[in-house]
Amino acid sequence: MKQLHFRSFRQQLNAAFLAVSLIPLLLCSVLLVQIFRLRMVSDAQQTAQQQLTAALDALDSVHTGFQSVVDTLDSDRLVTQALFDEQAEDTKVYEQLFQATEALRGFAAFHLYDISGNWRYSTQSAPESKVLSTHWGILYGAAQVPGTVVYSAPEDPAALSAPLLHAAALLTDPYGAPMGYLTMELRSSQLGALLGGLAGAQNQLLLLDAHWRPVYCTQSAQVLTLAETLRNQLLSGKALTGTSDNFVYTVARDAATGLTLVLQQPQVFTQGTLRLFYSVSTLCALGCVVLSIVLGLQLSRQVFEPIGRLHRAIRQVEKNDLEVQVPIPEGNENELTDLARQFNHMVTTLAANQQTLLENQKALNEAQIRMLQAQLNPHFLCNTLDTMKWISKINQVPQVALMSTNLADILRACISPAEFVPLRQELLILERYIEIQKIRLSDSFSYEADVPEDLKDCMVPKMLLQPLAENAILHGLSGVEAGQLLVTARADAESLLEIRVCDNGRGLPPELLGPYRPPEKQTGHLGLFNVDTILRKHYGECFGLRLENREDGPGACVVARLPIEKGES
Amino acid sequence: MKRFLIFFLVFTLLLSGCTQKQAQDFGPADGDTLVIYTSHKKEVWWPIVKEFESRTGLWVQVVEGGTNELLETIRSGKADPIPDLMFGGGVESLEANASLFSPYICAQADRLLPQYRSGEDLWTPFSALPLVLIYNPKLLSPDSLTGWSDLLKPSLHGRIAFADPAVSGSSYTALVTLLEALGGDHDTVLREFARNLDGKQLPSSGDVLSAVASGECSVGVTLEETASRRIAAGEQLAMVYPADGTSCVSDGCAILVGARHPENAKKFVDFTVSRDVQQLLQDQFCRRPVRDGLEPSASLPDLAAIAQVDYNLRWASEHRDSLLMSWAFYLGSEEEE
Repeated sequence: MKQLHFRSFRQQLNAAFLAVSLIPLLLCSVLLVQIFRLRMVSDAQQTAQQQLTAALDALDSVHTGFQSVVDTLDSDRLVTQALFDEQAEDTKVYEQLFQATEALRGFAAFHLYDISGNWRYSTQSAPESKVLSTHWGILYGAAQVPGTVVYSAPEDPAALSAPLLHAAALLTDPYGAPMGYLTMELRSSQLGALLGGLAGAQNQLLLLDAHWRPVYCTQSAQVLTLAETLRNQLLSGKALTGTSDNFVYTVARDAATGLTLVLQQPQVFTQGTLRLFYSVSTLCALGCVVLSIVLGLQLSRQVFEPIGRLHRAIRQVEKNDLEVQVPIPEGNENELTDLARQFNHMVTTLAANQQTLLENQKALNEAQIRMLQAQLNPHFLCNTLDTMKWISKINQVPQVALMSTNLADILRACISPAEFVPLRQELLILERYIEIQKIRLSDSFSYEADVPEDLKDCMVPKMLLQPLAENAILHGLSGVEAGQLLVTARADAESLLEIRVCDNGRGLPPELLGPYRPPEKQTGHLGLFNVDTILRKHYGECFGLRLENREDGPGACVVARLPIEKGES
Repeated sequence: MKRFLIFFLVFTLLLSGCTQKQAQDFGPADGDTLVIYTSHKKEVWWPIVKEFESRTGLWVQVVEGGTNELLETIRSGKADPIPDLMFGGGVESLEANASLFSPYICAQADRLLPQYRSGEDLWTPFSALPLVLIYNPKLLSPDSLTGWSDLLKPSLHGRIAFADPAVSGSSYTALVTLLEALGGDHDTVLREFARNLDGKQLPSSGDVLSAVASGECSVGVTLEETASRRIAAGEQLAMVYPADGTSCVSDGCAILVGARHPENAKKFVDFTVSRDVQQLLQDQFCRRPVRDGLEPSASLPDLAAIAQVDYNLRWASEHRDSLLMSWAFYLGSEEEE
C-alpha cells in the first residue's frame, strides 16, 4: 500500500486519532451487525424448521388417514358389489364409507367413482361434474400406480369455492382387478384448519404439488404470483427470494405425498433494520470523528503552541534580535519548557558574547586612534632633518649634513606606502645606512656591493637589507679591526634570488648554521626574525633566511632566499 | 496494515456469506425441464402442461405472450429463459418465421389429418380453428347475416367488430378468407370492407366478442372456438358459418432451433397430438382436432358440412406485409405493425 504522506505533524496526529477511534468502532459495528444477523437468521431458520415439521406431520396424518381409508375399502366385498354390480344397498355402502372415513371427515370430502369415472357415493354433497375422465387427470394418474395415492393441484388455487387439493387412489376387487376410484377433496377452509395455525402470525405457508404448482396458501390473495415467482426462481436456479426482498423462504418436501411446503417468513433483518444499524453506526462514527478532531486539536495546541513560540523566537534570532525570550508558562514543567528554558539561556549567552566582542573591538579601535594620535608626522621629521642638513652645511659641519641627508632618505623610504621596491632602491637605502654607521663607528669597516645589473630590477620587500646589514655590523664586525661588509646577489635556478650579506668576523657557531631558526627567547634584536617572517609569510615556507659561514675566509653570511619577481620598469 | 485489511475483509465476507443455501435440492435436474413459449390462454395450456408434467415427471416452465411478441423476442435472441418450444400461434405466423424452427415429425404423424400438416414438418398442428361470424341476436335478425358478403352491406356500416389484422393473426386470416370468399379484385373488396368498418378496428381479437355482446357492435368476425365458448358461457351471442365459405387454419407447435431440451420438446409435441389431448380439445375447448379417429363432438357441427374456401396458406404468409399495408391505407389509418 502506498504510504500516506502528511504535510505536518499535526495532521499525522489527527489522522492517528481518527484511525484509533474509527477502526475499532467500525469493526465492532460490522461484527455486531453480522453476529446479530446470523443469530436472528439461525433462530428464524429453527422456527421455520419447527413449523414446517408440524405442517409435514399434519399432511402426513391426512395422507396416512386417506391411505388407511383406501386400505379399508380396497378389496371390500360390499364396495366391490356397489361399484361393480350396483347390487349393494346404498345405506350399507354409505355406512361402510362413513366408518372408514371417520377420522378424516372433518378435513375432507370423499367420493367414490366406478371404473368408468361415474360418480357414485360421497361423504358430503355430490361433486360438480358427475363424470370424471379416466383418460385424463387424477383418475388417469391413480390408475397408473394402483394402490398409491396421487395428489393434484387445482387450476386456480385462488378460487376458494372449489376444492383445492385433490387426491385419488385406485380401488381393486378381491381378485386384484380395478373396480373404481376413491377421491378426497380438501377445500380452502379445511386446509386452513389443517395448516393455518401452524405457521405463526407473521408467516405464510404455501402448499405446492410435486411440480411446484400452487395448491393452497394461508394468504390466498398472493398464492398465484408468489408460487409462479418461486417456481421460476427454482427452475432458473436462482435463490428463492419471492416477489420482494422482504421475505425468506424455507422449503420442505413431504416424501409420502410428494407435496412441497414453502414457509414464508418476514426477513428478520430487513432493509429498514439494516439502515437503522448503519445510521446508528454512522452517527457513532461521526461522534468519534468530532471527538478525535477536538481532542487532536486540543493536544496539538498544547504541543504546538510552545513549539510555535520557539519557532517565532528562532525567527527573531535569525533577524539578529537577541533580546527575544520565550515565555515559560508557570507550573507546567515538561520537555518543551526545558527546551524553551535552554533556548532562552542560549540566546542570553549569545547576546553577552556579542556584547563582549563589541566592547573588545571598541577598545581596539580606541587604542589605534590613540596610537595614531601619538605618532609624529614623519614629514615633519624629514623636513626637520633637511633643515638640520642646511644648518650644518652653513656651519661647516659636513658629517651632520651627510647624516641628516641619509637619515631623511631612510625615513622617506620607511614611510613610503609601497611594500615592495626594486633591489636597486634597497641598495641605495642600504648605502645611506652604511654611511651613517661609518660615521658612527669611525670608518672601522668597508662596504662593497656586488649585484648584477639585471637583478637590480627584482622586486623585494621594503627594508629587507637594512636589518641584515645592521645584524652583520653589530654582531659580525664587533671587535674586528678592518671589517668588511659584502652584499652579493645571484639568481639561482632561474627563479630563485639569493642575496648574501657577508662579514669577515668570527663566523657563526655551528649550531646556528642552516635555515634561520628564531631564538627561543625574544631579545631586543628582532631584525633577522622580522625579515625571515616577512619572507616566509609573503612567499611561502620554502623561502626565508639561511645562516652560513664564509668558505673563502672567516666570517658569516646571512642568505635571503626569495623568488625572482621583476618589477614594472 | 495491508494484511490486517485483508483479514478484516475475509472475516466480514465469511460472516456475511454464511446464509443463503437451501432451494436447489428441490428443483429438477437440468435435463428434466422444458421451456415453453405459448400464446395460448392459461385455460388452454394449463391442463395440458399439468397432465404432461404428471405423466412424464418433467418440469415445464411456461412463458405467456402474444404470438408476434413471443416470436419477436425469440428472433431477437434475448429470450430468457431460452425457449425449447413455441406452443400456439397460427401456422401462418409460424410459417413466416420458418428459420426459427427445426423440423420434427411427431409420433403418430400418420394419424394427423393431412390438410393440416406442414409441408416441411417445421411445425406440428395442434387444433383447427374455423372462422365464424357472430352477431348480437338482440340487434340483428338471424336472416340478415349469412356470409362475408353481408359485411359489405351499408346497413352494417360502422357496426362491425373487427380486430386489427396487424395485431391479431386470426383477424388477418379472416381478411384473407374474406378476399377468397368474395373473389373479384382484392383492392376493391379491401377498400369496400375498410369503408364499411368506418375506420374502426379493435386492438385485439378478444375485444370482438365483448364489443358484440355489449351491443357496441352488431356483428363481428372471430374464431369458432372463442365464439362457442362464450356462447356456452351464456353470453348474448349467436354464431353463423359463412355460407360463402370459411377457412379452417390450424394453430401449431414448433421446436425451436437452439432448444436446450430438444428431447423433452419432442415429447411435448407428441403429447399435444395424442388422442387424449385432442379429445380434450374437442370436448372442453371447442376446438377442432387435427387427428382422425376421435369420437365426434356433441356440440360442434361436422366440418364437412361447412362451406370452405380454398385457403392458400403460402400466399397468405407471403403477401402479409403488402396486404396489411394496403389495408392500413384503405382504413385511412397510419398505423401499421
